[in-house]
This record gives sequence, C-alpha cells and structure tokens, in this order.
Amino acid sequence: MTDGFLSNSLNIYLFVGLFLLCCGILGVLYRRTLIAMLISIELIMNGAGLNFVAFNRFVSPEGPEGMIFTLFVMGIAAAEAAIALAIIILIFRKYRSIESAEMEEMKD
Amino acid sequence: MINLGEPIFILIVIMTVAGALTTVLSGSVIYALIGLVATMFGIAGLYVYLNAPFLAMMQILVYVGAITILIAFAIMLAGPFYKRPKEWTGIGKFSAALVVSVISFLTFFTIIMKVSWTEGKGAFNLLTKDIGRALFDRYAFPFELISLVIVVSIIGAIMLAMFSRGKND
Repeated sequence: MTDGFLSNSLNIYLFVGLFLLCCGILGVLYRRTLIAMLISIELIMNGAGLNFVAFNRFVSPEGPEGMIFTLFVMGIAAAEAAIALAIIILIFRKYRSIESAEMEEMKD
Repeated sequence: MINLGEPIFILIVIMTVAGALTTVLSGSVIYALIGLVATMFGIAGLYVYLNAPFLAMMQILVYVGAITILIAFAIMLAGPFYKRPKEWTGIGKFSAALVVSVISFLTFFTIIMKVSWTEGKGAFNLLTKDIGRALFDRYAFPFELISLVIVVSIIGAIMLAMFSRGKND
C-alpha cells in the first residue's frame, strides 16, 4: 500500500469507532426494549475493538497487544450476551413484557 | 491502472455506518438485528484492511455466528412479533438522547483532531502464530480468566433457565 490512501490513515478508523460509540449511546438511552439496548451495547464493544486494532496497527506495530485485547473483548461480549439474554427471557416469563419502563417493581 | 482497494474501503465504511444507523433508528428489533449483522461484516472488512485477517475471521465467527444467533433466539422466544412495542416513544426522550450522543461525539472529535498520534516504527505484519504465542506466554493468566468467566456465565445461564421453569410451573 502506498501512502496517501484513505485506508492508510489512523483517523478514519477512529472516526468509525467514535460513530459506533455514539450510535450505541443513543440506542441505550432511547430504546424501549431490553434486547435493543443489548444490541446497542454490542455496537459500543465493536467500536472499542476497532480502536484497539487501529492503535495497534498504526501507533505500536511491534507486538500483538491490541489484537489480544480485542479477542478478550469478544470473549467478554459472548459471556455478557448469554447472561443478559437469559435474564431477559426470565423477565419476559415473569412480567410478559420486555420493556424497560415497566420494570419498576423489580426491587422486591 | 485503477486501484480497487480504495473504493472497496469506502464501501465497507459506508456499510458499517449504515448498519449502525439501521441498528439504532429502526422501529423493530429484528431490523435492528439485521443492521447489527451488517455492522459486524463491515468491521470484519476493516480488520482485513488493518492487516489482521485472523481477527476478521474471529469477528465473523463469534459475533455473526454466535451472538447474533443468540439474540435472534431471544427475540423469537420473547413473545409474538406483532405485539412488540413501537420503538419511537416520545420526541422528548429521543431528543435528549440525541443531545447526549452529539455532545459526546463532538468532545471525542475535538480530542481526535487535536492529538497527533506518533506513528510507530516498523511494518505491521504479525501472523496468527504471534498472537497464539503471546496468548500462551505473556497473557496466559488473563486467557485462563476469560475461560473461567465464560464457564461461569454458561452455568449461570443454565441456572437461570432452570430456576425460572421451576417457579412458573
């Protein structure tokens, strides 16, 4: 790859990661169903992983640390999705709804 | 000669951004899931452009193959499709969330434009062998901790399912 190309600069990857982060924040804040909130959290994790790999490629290309962190993020995301979906199914069986606004009586 | 790498890169970025917008703004959960799949594939393409093909393969395997299927099962298990609540609730809540999102976007945008990252020396051509060697050499303890976390989450999910069934019947 020669210089000057768009795919060879760090900033474009950082902007894509930042856009994913902001979309995730927007989705977590205004979505009503719990599953859609979980999907938005997955967006945030993907943006973080993209940033890790971009920094590893451009700033410190000696070791594979960023890629290893991204693999760890993938493992954490899988575990988190399994637990969260089990809890969502349990909430649906108890309340017959997956809206976050109707869960005010979860304290007891 | 026309270099095809650049238009394909722009297409991948557009696919990622459009998938993220679909995920956030669509009215139904299943369309949000399809947008999430498009975003995952776009990020896998960006990993290929970042010289990390192993991560691209793992992205498709783990996210598209496992997590998305899990979310699709949860969507199908949680009631019939037509009884879903509409996602567009009030314009006030949406505008408040949009303000928070835009403020965070502008903050990080100014930070990214202000800081000049020092470019590293040397070429970036790490093989999968290097990743495996680092995983079992320097990062062996976090690797084992991740496996422990996954085992605990699997057992926790099974326990939650059993507890729920016993209480309902």
